[in-house]
Amino acid sequence: MTHVSIKELTKVYPGATTPSLDRLSLEIPTGELTALLGPSGCGKTTTMKMIAGLLEPTSGDVTFDGRSVLRDKPEDRGVVMVFQNYLLFPYMSVADNVGFGLKMRKKDPAEIKRRVGEMLELVKLPDLGDRKPSALSGGQQQRVALARALIVQPNVLLLDEPLSNLDAHLRFEMRDLIRSLQQEMGITTIFVTHDQEEAVVLADRVALILDGQMKQYDRADVFYKRPIDEATARFFGGHNFIPGTSDGHVFDCALGKLSLPEGATTGAGKLTFRPENVRIGAGPDAQNALTSTIAEVIYLGTQTRLKLRVGETEVDAVVNPNEIESYAVGDTLPIHLPSATLWVI
Amino acid sequence: MEVGHLSDRTKIFLLLLPAMFIIVVLFFGGLMIGLMRSFNYMPVIGLTEPDLSAYISVFTDREFYLSFLLTFHIAFTSTVISSILAIGAALLLRRSFVGRSIVNFLFQLNLTVPHLVGAIGMLYLFSQSGSFARLAHEFGMIARPSDFPALVFDPYAIGIILQYVWKEIPFIGVIVLANMQSIGEDYESVARSLGASKWQTFRYVLLPLIFPGVLSASVMVFAFTFGAYEIPAILGANFPAALPVLAYRKYTDVDLAARPEAMAMAIVIALLSAVMIYFYVRYSRRRIRG
Repeated sequence: MTHVSIKELTKVYPGATTPSLDRLSLEIPTGELTALLGPSGCGKTTTMKMIAGLLEPTSGDVTFDGRSVLRDKPEDRGVVMVFQNYLLFPYMSVADNVGFGLKMRKKDPAEIKRRVGEMLELVKLPDLGDRKPSALSGGQQQRVALARALIVQPNVLLLDEPLSNLDAHLRFEMRDLIRSLQQEMGITTIFVTHDQEEAVVLADRVALILDGQMKQYDRADVFYKRPIDEATARFFGGHNFIPGTSDGHVFDCALGKLSLPEGATTGAGKLTFRPENVRIGAGPDAQNALTSTIAEVIYLGTQTRLKLRVGETEVDAVVNPNEIESYAVGDTLPIHLPSATLWVI
Repeated sequence: MEVGHLSDRTKIFLLLLPAMFIIVVLFFGGLMIGLMRSFNYMPVIGLTEPDLSAYISVFTDREFYLSFLLTFHIAFTSTVISSILAIGAALLLRRSFVGRSIVNFLFQLNLTVPHLVGAIGMLYLFSQSGSFARLAHEFGMIARPSDFPALVFDPYAIGIILQYVWKEIPFIGVIVLANMQSIGEDYESVARSLGASKWQTFRYVLLPLIFPGVLSASVMVFAFTFGAYEIPAILGANFPAALPVLAYRKYTDVDLAARPEAMAMAIVIALLSAVMIYFYVRYSRRRIRG
């Protein structure tokens, strides 16, 4: 039950001229699951290591429930980190790996054995205690690593790219497992990932870090609906950025005058909307209706990606492949952009 | 000839042939001749009835047992001390610090110095007429240079062990350091974050991880120091002498009858070091990784 707060955290590695992490501030409420999202080399893992005490910050502070932990040794912080490549001790059995933290705390062997049994049950690997890690699949190793971390009942759990080494079907299984264990135990959890899908799937809140600085810290859906700037929108798969001016209600641009949702910013800016929010047809009241020409068709199985041309402007759209009979290059396609899905940055 | 027509197995066999030739002819050939001679079997000079007399005289000689104890002491002590110090040195050298590459270079420098040269250096420095004895006398710490503690030609073989430690630390150290660098520090980070102290992390994580490297390096050092001749010949006491020195003395004895005994002793040295290495590997594996 720990409220983690990161204040102006900065790390400049010896010999480096630019900071790997530049004044990152973040509040992670007790029991929440937060993602640090960003491309590789943006300072995510550096941040985790500083929270865990494995790396010393150049400046800034990390507090747990208001108390600075920078002077605490890593083993005294109550923070456990699960690494991306699991790092199970190869010469130990699965059970010894899981019981490692308790053994280091000099717990009674009988108690260790009992709790290791319970923990393996919890991660659904009850019969694998005697195996060596090398005899396990990637997904099983991941679960052992998780069990090894959770057995010491940490206040804060740090996960480094927890889903990225897993197959698609294992990802959802592991996601459910991590979420249910995390909710059950109420552990404040931070994980880092470069994959926006992983962040959205797993996290309560997402902190997007680009170039060592935090861009936006919000609930996952906000990044799709209300990105703070073009770089953020692009990171989340945004493609449509159309320059123009907004008066708060109408956006005037090459596509024409489009009506905006409540609360849109005013002045010069860029109109953005997600490809999947481009609708086929003129819409019920012909609001924001446009006529486009199909310039390119990419069939992706469950969806079809279209490059459309409205006058001189290119619009990216993702549509249901079965919504109309066929999509052919050169065809004219009426579309509309629901005003609730538009946003000005 | 078109090599492509050969099967992989044939190719491997042909490629290994030169190395196999050397091993089979030189090593096993030498071993066979030594073995035959140790059994007093030498048809060339009319000895066609093999017997165990050479072994009996080796095992009934008290000097052999004293020599064995001394040789074991030299090999064991040198291996343990140099392994411990080498691990310590590797732990320091893997950190990054200013001037690391220079320290690293100096650390490995004596790998290039032959054992013999090192031994003579020891002699100059540590003998009772050597530099340290004279310095100590000069500064009035001892009355006569000969009061300097006996570190060479001494019954505890301190000079020999010093020489081996000096020479083997970088050997083991370089292997262990490479080992540590390929393992990285992430396992230790995991252990620390799971609540292990620095010492526990070393004992339960790093040591078991580098153990295979330490084991093979120290086995090499043990086998070498157990069977090496030149260092105990230069720096050792006359009695008891190390086993290889004793064997060589028998071999060069004016009495040709002592030769089978020399061969028997050489065979015994080889067997003993094989047996000791076997038990060392078994015991230490259980102890460190168990």
